[in-house]
Amino acid sequence: MAASELDRAAGRVTRRQFLRTGVLVSGGVVLTVACGQPAVVPAAPTAPAGAQAPTSATPVASSRAPKKGGTMRVGFGVDITTLDPHLSGSKIDRQVYHNLYDPLLILDEKLGIQPNLAESWQTPDPKTLILKLRSGVKFHDGTDFNAEAARINFDRMANEPKSVRKGEVANVASTEAIDPLTLKINLKQPDTSLLATLTDRAGMMISPTAITKLGADLGHDATGAGTGPFQFAEWVPDDHVLLKRNDAYWNKEGGPYLDQIRYRPIPDDTVKLQSLQAGEIDALDYLAPRTVSLAKADSNLVVIDVPSLAAFWYVLNTTKPPFNNKAVRQAMAYALDTEALVKGVYLGVGVPANGPISPSSWAYDDAIKPIARDLAKAKALLAEGGQPNGFSFSFEIINTPFGVQEAEVVKAQLAEAGITANVVPVDGARQLADGNSKALEMTTYNWSGRPDPDGNTYQFFHTTPGVSLNWAGVSNPELDKLLEQTRTVSDHIERKKLYSQAIQILRDEMPALFVVHPIEPKALSPKLQGYVPIPDGMLRFKDVWLK
Amino acid sequence: MGRLILRRLLATVPVLVLVTLGVFLLIHLVPGDPVEAMLGESQDAVAKETLRRELGFDQPLYVQYVTWMGHVIQGDLGRSVRTHQTVLDNVSHRIRPTLELAVFAMFISLCVAIPLGILTATHRNSAIDSFGTSFALFGICMPNFVIALLLIFVFGVTLRWLPISSFTDPFDDPVAGVRSLTLPAITLGLALSAVITRTLRSSLLDTLSDDYVRTARAKGLSDWAVVRGHALKNALIPVVTVLGLQLGTLIGGAVITEYIFALPGVGRLVVDAVFARDYPLVQGVVLLITVGFIASNLLVDIVYGWLDPRIRYA
Repeated sequence: MAASELDRAAGRVTRRQFLRTGVLVSGGVVLTVACGQPAVVPAAPTAPAGAQAPTSATPVASSRAPKKGGTMRVGFGVDITTLDPHLSGSKIDRQVYHNLYDPLLILDEKLGIQPNLAESWQTPDPKTLILKLRSGVKFHDGTDFNAEAARINFDRMANEPKSVRKGEVANVASTEAIDPLTLKINLKQPDTSLLATLTDRAGMMISPTAITKLGADLGHDATGAGTGPFQFAEWVPDDHVLLKRNDAYWNKEGGPYLDQIRYRPIPDDTVKLQSLQAGEIDALDYLAPRTVSLAKADSNLVVIDVPSLAAFWYVLNTTKPPFNNKAVRQAMAYALDTEALVKGVYLGVGVPANGPISPSSWAYDDAIKPIARDLAKAKALLAEGGQPNGFSFSFEIINTPFGVQEAEVVKAQLAEAGITANVVPVDGARQLADGNSKALEMTTYNWSGRPDPDGNTYQFFHTTPGVSLNWAGVSNPELDKLLEQTRTVSDHIERKKLYSQAIQILRDEMPALFVVHPIEPKALSPKLQGYVPIPDGMLRFKDVWLK
Repeated sequence: MGRLILRRLLATVPVLVLVTLGVFLLIHLVPGDPVEAMLGESQDAVAKETLRRELGFDQPLYVQYVTWMGHVIQGDLGRSVRTHQTVLDNVSHRIRPTLELAVFAMFISLCVAIPLGILTATHRNSAIDSFGTSFALFGICMPNFVIALLLIFVFGVTLRWLPISSFTDPFDDPVAGVRSLTLPAITLGLALSAVITRTLRSSLLDTLSDDYVRTARAKGLSDWAVVRGHALKNALIPVVTVLGLQLGTLIGGAVITEYIFALPGVGRLVVDAVFARDYPLVQGVVLLITVGFIASNLLVDIVYGWLDPRIRYA
């Protein structure tokens, strides 16, 4: 069935031609959707939807040889915020970085960690990580990539005042360039999650020359700064980011094939999809839930349900009333109908969450079921918590049409248990300020997820005094011990057990109501070939070409 | 004329002070600050404090305002907290698409509204008149975003005549540029053309019943010659007022159109800046938009003087 859509001559949109429900086309890869059916979601290490997905690096039109040239036009929901990976706090930035910069290590389709700028690694003792770096790699400005360059990057992440990477490298005590191609990382405590961290922004290497020469300008001008398959050409804010092919790329296997990548922010979800339908762009970052069915109905588009590492939850501030009472927090969980939320608001673009770790992760435990709604139990718990007649609280949400819709459903669900949610719509900056100062009672938190489960748990639920992402203010010694212990164990099976225990504690302590593990559907033009979906949702274009 | 301009310019000073003070207070009183917005994920409280001090956000509000005003008077609008580029740089890049859109929208609306206004006034109570007034009602009632989505669906997705989100600067590529601005300009221009049609119709109707028009008719001039030579110029004064006010609105208020058609204009710049709590950028852009508003009103006053010499001496 895939071939007919792929070989269709480009032309007018024939609408209302529905793809068979639940079956999607990813080039030649046929994927099963997991919408609304948790049982279908692969639990163990996962590629896009388990067994059917072949893991070949070029899943599309294998008989055809890749063609060089062309401009890939990508639509983003928002503009990037900075070109400097050390200062970036926005998910969209990573979409560009994964083509412009090379991380030290890289993820494969099963979220396994593979060599990249680092050819190999070893841990002679739990507090030491030694990286053997690839030789002959040059930054786009001609500077050599070596251990000294890597050391400068680690120093900058830890010491630059505006660095947003400090948390990720907090466990790094020091780094030494032992020889030009060997970097020794000394850790404060054992940290097995560090390798996965180095597959993203914290592992992306910036040219030391560019750092000195460009200074603060690096944020909007990354000329020569990366080693990636594409190099920076220009960024015109809110208009486009342009990357061009790096012909001197160190990895001679496969691409880069594309001449250019042109990212363009198209803020309206519907218009973004329509731009793809009209042929003005070739790919988009993600489909909003309400546009998924429109995209799937268009047989001129290729829609891929890329699994994600994300988890969306509602933070409950445990440091002040009304949620400083555990029974009341538990009552909230039983009053909430996450299954209805996922079906009705997320339109099945995801599965109800059982905790902060997504089904794409090897640490996901499918034996733990999402909390099912039980109003009688919710009322009993309310009585136990001294609120037999319910209570009211403020629910801070991000003021988008979707956010408001979601909040209204939550409000209606909680009302059935006698709980009154006063919805307070705010913007992102206000939410951050209120969260960091623990001024709020309950708020939505949409975490894009990290390849290592540590990135979905520790910073949110481990005891941290002062300002932190632990907005719930949760502090449970047993939970702390488990989260610390997972960092010392490297075996996935052992770690998974520890995370399952941690999730059980979270579901008792209830610092957050876990709502949904969304998937990241992407819509692509059928011209696009060779795209391999990796569950972190990033569009890596090294081996992609245009038919 | 010189005195008129001078008087108007002096009157702008209190307006500017009030606007800047208002914007300054509003954006600073909203919870959240640029440092939190920038370093949200970071948990380093010391770094946040250092950055706040470096950017001067630890000072009392009145000190910040006076410092900022002092720089503004010397022509320095400061730098964006987020991108570190100067505010003027930011705005000069972003004002072009907005101005192009505004001018194009105004052009389209005048092309539609002037003939329609004249026709509805000269053919009062006819079918043309009903059509014209219905059109005006439609244009005023229809929200921007509905028209935009309809146009996109019909001309962009179904017919594929015009691009929907691929902005090109008309000065770089005139054909592609005009094509890319057509749908947004129609969206923005429709409401304006409706307002102008109505204004022109009623003011032309007034003028057409004046004595001098009757005199002109009595001299045996044709209807068209009367309208063109005598009535239209006088009937245009309220139209110019509307245009002047609308030019300001077009520049400051094209946010929704820019958002839907993904135009990199000044409207989106200021919205993004508000979300990032980029204080200098918000203050600078609003100040410049205010100056633009004042300038377009000043222009209106000058055009008045030209259209009707009596106003110069009033």
